[in-house]
Amino acid sequence: MDLLWTISTILLLCSLLSILWKGFDRRRNRSCYLLDFVCYKPSDDRKLSSELCSDIIVRNKRLSVPDYKFLLKVVVNSGISEDTYGPRSIIEGREECPTHDDCVDEVDDCMYRTLDELFLRTSISPIDVDVLVVNVSMFAPSPSLTSRIVNRYRMREDVKNFSLAGMGCSASPIAIDLVNNIFKTRKRTLAVVVTSESIAPNWYYGTDKSMMLGNCLFRSGGCSFMLTNDPSLKHRAKMSLKCLVRAHIGANDDAYSCAIQKEDDEGRVGFHLSKSLPKAAVRAFAENLQRLAPKVLPVGELALYVLRGFRHRLWRSKEAKTDAATAAMVNFKSGVDHFCLHTGGAAVIDAVGRALGLTKYDVEPARMTLHRWGNTSASSLWYVLGYMEAKKRLRRKDRVLMLSFGAGFKCNSCLWEVLRDLNDGGAWEDCIRAYPPQTLVNPFMEKFGWVKEA
Amino acid sequence: MPRAPLPEFSSSVRLKYVKLGYQHLVDNFVTFLSIPVMVAVGLELVRRGPQEIVGLWRALELDVIHILCSVFVIIFVATVYFMSRPRPVYLVEYACFKPPSNCRVPFSTFMEHTRLINSDEKSVQFQMRILERSGLGEETCLPPANHYIPPHPTMEASRAEAQLVIFSAIDDLIRKTGLKPKDIDILVVNCSLFSPTPSLSAMIINKYKLRSNIRSFNLSGMGCSAGLISIDLARDLLQVHPGSNALVISTEIITPNFYAGNQRAMLLPNCLFRMGAAAILLSNRRRDAGRAKYRLVHVVRTHKGADDRAYRCVYEEEDAEGHTGISLSKDLMAIAGEALKSNITTIGPLVLPMSEQLLFFLTLVARKLINPKRKPYIPDFKKAFEHLCIHAGGRAVIDELQKNLELSAEHVEASRMTLHRFGNTSSSSLWYELNYIESKGRMRRGDRVWQIGFGSGFKCNSAVWKCMRTVKTPIDGPWSECIHRYPVHIPEVVKL
Repeated sequence: MDLLWTISTILLLCSLLSILWKGFDRRRNRSCYLLDFVCYKPSDDRKLSSELCSDIIVRNKRLSVPDYKFLLKVVVNSGISEDTYGPRSIIEGREECPTHDDCVDEVDDCMYRTLDELFLRTSISPIDVDVLVVNVSMFAPSPSLTSRIVNRYRMREDVKNFSLAGMGCSASPIAIDLVNNIFKTRKRTLAVVVTSESIAPNWYYGTDKSMMLGNCLFRSGGCSFMLTNDPSLKHRAKMSLKCLVRAHIGANDDAYSCAIQKEDDEGRVGFHLSKSLPKAAVRAFAENLQRLAPKVLPVGELALYVLRGFRHRLWRSKEAKTDAATAAMVNFKSGVDHFCLHTGGAAVIDAVGRALGLTKYDVEPARMTLHRWGNTSASSLWYVLGYMEAKKRLRRKDRVLMLSFGAGFKCNSCLWEVLRDLNDGGAWEDCIRAYPPQTLVNPFMEKFGWVKEA
Repeated sequence: MPRAPLPEFSSSVRLKYVKLGYQHLVDNFVTFLSIPVMVAVGLELVRRGPQEIVGLWRALELDVIHILCSVFVIIFVATVYFMSRPRPVYLVEYACFKPPSNCRVPFSTFMEHTRLINSDEKSVQFQMRILERSGLGEETCLPPANHYIPPHPTMEASRAEAQLVIFSAIDDLIRKTGLKPKDIDILVVNCSLFSPTPSLSAMIINKYKLRSNIRSFNLSGMGCSAGLISIDLARDLLQVHPGSNALVISTEIITPNFYAGNQRAMLLPNCLFRMGAAAILLSNRRRDAGRAKYRLVHVVRTHKGADDRAYRCVYEEEDAEGHTGISLSKDLMAIAGEALKSNITTIGPLVLPMSEQLLFFLTLVARKLINPKRKPYIPDFKKAFEHLCIHAGGRAVIDELQKNLELSAEHVEASRMTLHRFGNTSSSSLWYELNYIESKGRMRRGDRVWQIGFGSGFKCNSAVWKCMRTVKTPIDGPWSECIHRYPVHIPEVVKL
């Protein structure tokens, strides 16, 4: 009996120990803090007004009058202001034959300006950086962009650098995922991530309508941010990463080919956006939310959702129409305070806002970012975050959800918790007081109003 | 790396045995230390006799509590020890793309095409001279688009090449391992000079219908050493996610990178780069330990980009006529040597036996304190590895490394033969070389392999693998039809 008692106690202790260890293991090395982020503000001589856009469009002699009308309509209705930025080579008339130097200079300007400011603001020397990730989807020179940064800032020999390319507009959460995974294998690591897009080499100068949209919506922009898992830097950090979900529905052929870089019928390379893109976006979005909801929502809301689902199924015949819509909706605002939505276009922002049950106040940062900066691809999330910070919306313990879509087709999201009250102006410093503006209507609407006629 | 002739006295036979004895002593230091201790304990036990020992045990008066606590402590320590060890990463299997014979580019074809495409006679002569001394054979392959006169580098053709090489390699891997696509948890793809949107990783996810929660990464622009960078990333991901496997694809797509100008430094890649791809399956699952071929021991990455000379030695730029190409500087060999030296300084302490490290350390101390003119000691890396795979970047790279590391012809045979049969396939060349060693039946259980890759930036990356089971020949792979012909003698200059 005594022996039995001894053995059972030992077994109990062992199981207790393993549970404790698993719990301890889960908690250590889990932190990922955002120290600071700097959004790119190009110089004012690169501003693309609607007038300038129309001049650039008109330069393409291959287009017919209906094509011009279509493009001007897109530009005027896009919700993009007169203050967005384009690459120098396009403004100076070299859009059809950019040199390699044009492309490199465009990315260099963004990377170096933002990194200079980032190192200055955080007072951290480049030699202390352990991990460096750059993501620029449509330009990958040799040596890589990370090597350019290592050379410029004389970083260490053992810096872990990764250059991601081809990952589309939702590459920011992918870069964060990469860094987060490395953080779990090493202690006291400092990572710098640069995210941008290259427009100069990707200007489409053919006549295929599905490829011309990119020209109208994409604008120059970028962001550099610094992450760390060092607990001693927590007091300086702005936000802490809570969870990250990536959903890739590339297995579906329509989803894979709805946003794809390819040649048109005349052999010119452009970025094709097909009509099935919204459908793919919805599917990817649903896939992502399915996995995100349990991690983000409080238990009460999840329970309510389950109950609503039961009720809907039981009383399906009686209250089919009205309850179907409400039953499907989960109130994300119960677990999330601020929403950083990818500024893919006014339609995308509105659609996502509706799906999540967001108010005008919630989608305002995304709409204003689209207005002020245009679609800056992967870095748009950071401009949206910058708006919230400049408007002093981000308070301690607030939860921020970043949501983006990208070619492939992917939907990636990540949830941050704000660690202290934030009030930096950042790239919005000089114009935040003018936002939100009285009207988002393009000032050239009258001049180009004729496009609305037939 | 400086070439130090060995000191005079070690040519003496007697001292050779002294050196051997020293090595055994230092390498097995702990064992040698424990022998006298064990002998003493054994003698004591024998002297005391069995009854006395039992009496001693009884006298301890161990209570249940005492036993419980001691068992608890032992289990706790054991748990902490086992839990804190990093998860082993196994290489289950890998497959290399075998180019079809209709893509072959013998010297005559290459020169004929060059003469028809390039009007400048000097450039044609230059390329001929490069080809003569390149160490390439007659069976290297270029993608279909490059067989056109002039080459036809459209995006569609580039994607077609990517699909051909990558899907063939993956299909081969699936056939060998029975891998189910839905089972893949991590996907890392590296292709330096072609990065379409959506990425090549998305292309693979689409073709093989991989899961929606897959962790995929697409690395680009990272040069010929990117294969080991992908392995490094996959390893880090496998450390974080237990019970997972990772598919790593290393390739280089040649189609969009034909250089159409006349700048000499930029014509070299046209002559040397050829089609190739490798698909590697890594896993950290315990059940794969039984069937895995290799276990990953170390990955060391060195980036010399902080030095301007190193940074500029492999550089993509436009020539005066606006043609984009990759320019290779004349300093390439020297810089590769320096990068390797840095890499070795980090990897040395991890892999060298104690005896070599001690000698290196003592020589270093002697140089610093006693005599700065004393030649530095080059550790003998042959003691740490049984096989070497050096990136087949070109004949000059292999020659330089053979000299620097004092390697024999057999050590660099895999690299030379891969360069001959497949050309410079960039990041996948290391896998063709490993396959050569396996096809020759030289890979035995317990053998250690050192893979060294060089690339633009300038980077030097190393990986160390340990073989887990003897690889039996014949093996199904890119060398299966021609291994019996190798090794071949590659003349200094092949007259064209």
